[in-house]
Amino acid sequence: MAKNNNFPDLIFIGQPNCGKSTIFNAIAGLKAITSNFPGTTVKHTHSKVNVEGNILNIIDLPGTYSLNPSDEAEKVALTHLFVEKPDLIINVLDASCLGRSLELTLELIELGYPMVMALNMIDLAEKKGVKINPKKLEVFLGIPVIPTIASHGWGIKELLDASLRVLEEGQTTSPMKWSRDVEENVNELIEKIPENFSLKTNRRFTAIKMIETGREFFIKMLRENYPSLKETLDRVKKNLEEMHSAPAYEVVAAERHHLALKIFEESSQVKRRKTISRLERADDILMHPILGYFILLAVFLGFFFMIFKIGSPLEELLLGPLNHFRQYLSMHLGSGVGFYIIDGLSQGIGGGIAIVMPYFIPLIFLMSLLEDAGYLARAGFLMDTFMHRIGLHGKSVSPFILGFGCNVPAIVSTRILESRRDKIITSLLIPFIPCSARTTIILALVAFYLGPFWAFGFYLFTMLLIALLGRIISLFFRTASPGLILEIPSLKRPSLKNISRKTYLQLKSFIEFAWPILIAGSIILALLEFFGIDKVINLILSPLVVKGLGLPQELGVTLVFGFLRKELSLIMMLQSLGVEYQALLSTITKEQILVFTVFVSFFIPCLSTVAILWKEVGRRIALLSVALNTGVALLLSMIVRFIIGA
Amino acid sequence: MISLVDAPYNKRLRIVNICGGHGIHRRLLSLGFHKNDIIELDTSGIFKGPILIRGITSNTSVALGRGVAGKIMVEIVGEK
Repeated sequence: MAKNNNFPDLIFIGQPNCGKSTIFNAIAGLKAITSNFPGTTVKHTHSKVNVEGNILNIIDLPGTYSLNPSDEAEKVALTHLFVEKPDLIINVLDASCLGRSLELTLELIELGYPMVMALNMIDLAEKKGVKINPKKLEVFLGIPVIPTIASHGWGIKELLDASLRVLEEGQTTSPMKWSRDVEENVNELIEKIPENFSLKTNRRFTAIKMIETGREFFIKMLRENYPSLKETLDRVKKNLEEMHSAPAYEVVAAERHHLALKIFEESSQVKRRKTISRLERADDILMHPILGYFILLAVFLGFFFMIFKIGSPLEELLLGPLNHFRQYLSMHLGSGVGFYIIDGLSQGIGGGIAIVMPYFIPLIFLMSLLEDAGYLARAGFLMDTFMHRIGLHGKSVSPFILGFGCNVPAIVSTRILESRRDKIITSLLIPFIPCSARTTIILALVAFYLGPFWAFGFYLFTMLLIALLGRIISLFFRTASPGLILEIPSLKRPSLKNISRKTYLQLKSFIEFAWPILIAGSIILALLEFFGIDKVINLILSPLVVKGLGLPQELGVTLVFGFLRKELSLIMMLQSLGVEYQALLSTITKEQILVFTVFVSFFIPCLSTVAILWKEVGRRIALLSVALNTGVALLLSMIVRFIIGA
Repeated sequence: MISLVDAPYNKRLRIVNICGGHGIHRRLLSLGFHKNDIIELDTSGIFKGPILIRGITSNTSVALGRGVAGKIMVEIVGEK
């Protein structure tokens, strides 16, 4: 196959939660030549690896249940499958739900690409009483089947060996036959596909997808350009529908379903277990109609309490040396431009290490822990009722929770939502969720100076605000949300390796992208101060900052820069007030701290968030989000000021 | 034949029909829930919260909102 380079492309594809990314990372991390981008499960990830002297392009696609996409993440998977024309497909399956997973496998075989199967989580399947014979599966499917336990790295080498073998020797797979009447109808359609028709990989796959698709534009295109093909398609669909008294797409899906179950039954032994495992028992409590909610509340309280308890002593510990260093600088460098630049530099670097990282690292670590254990789906289940009250449903919970880490991946992950309505509402609400940058500000300012209960109150208030805004925004949509259909994956014992890896990748992206902005921002502020430009900006903004918000005039410039990175507002706040962190209360009151935090938290989402909104939901919604956040920030901070009399 | 919303907890159920739009139908098919499949109700949230169903043959759990669950018709086929 012609490629930009001569390295073979290996595509990893499987249903969501099958451990596909874990296998991918085990391989990419092992011998990665170019590092992969921090991947969320809704983006595809490329990496180039060297396996025993063979350079391979490996591509991780978002999980997809079938090749008939019903949300955007699945569309990404499908588009890449067709565009990349892989040399090999590695189909990853969750062995513990083999019966269902095989339905996607059967669809992939219809594509006709060389293929290897990774039968992952084989240990979990055995725990559930399912004993699978991989050799029998190989005979049925005609492709190599390699049992793996990706979280332990077990079976990865065998998987790579099998892949290299298939690449070297080639492979011919033939799709499995369906019931005679369905086959006859499919064949009738295949014969009618004209030579000049743009095929998706092969004629049979194209014919099947024609029967399955419900896409209006495709049907319209057929009617206009291929009227005789459209006629045959209609007849074939009608035949199938009459014979099976079900829609044609269901007839095709049922064929795969029955075939998958037959293969599953003949290649596995299922023992009904007498006892249920500890994790399953834990699940009964986690999803209990009453206890579940107490646990949910406890998890989130514990979550922020732990971040604060780890972050604040670390922060104090690290700030000491930083302040000493700055005193040393001012003694030795005088007050020339050199001092301003170096001081700005040390504020940016030091602020990143001493103020941001103590909170950021525990936050992303705990977030990855919740994600890895499978708690996000459970939170979605529990929160569904409340989400309905604000016009959404439980599937939006996971993007919301991810938003506490960073709003950017949270907005990308709204691709899992099936309807555009839900996607827009969720994307407009996410920028109100305090991300790690704002959590740093809330913990470092509100919790540190006003006490942890104030910070907790701040979060509670934010939640209520989001609920209220959700309710208001959903009034503008006439259609109702389509309702929740969300798979609840088995609860997993979180793997330290996975969590550390995720934490590391996010920390790396913070260091590479956000930290330079913090440093550059601090230096720019120092230069503005040196040339006296900051005073001009502050003067222009003073009606808003001093009259509107009741804050010191010096803070004007920091509010503007918060648009680049929210943490920048915090670091620049200290810089522009000219005080050390511990001595903050000498220049600003506790009430002013609260007003400042409210304003910075809700003010326009940071630059990266606006950019991703623009990309994901379009310019109009991105601008609407900016206006909404600015309006809410102004209104709320003035109300807070009025109530507490700052 | 009853709707999933009214189905009992301690029984095995068979999916008889999936009403509602194509979108919901296709989604359920791709999640491995087909007509004639045997399922069990696991738990449900408070205040008209979602319903958790488990496919016996597919060995998977799926949470369904009340609106979706109301469109799935089942019949009782035996004890759990």
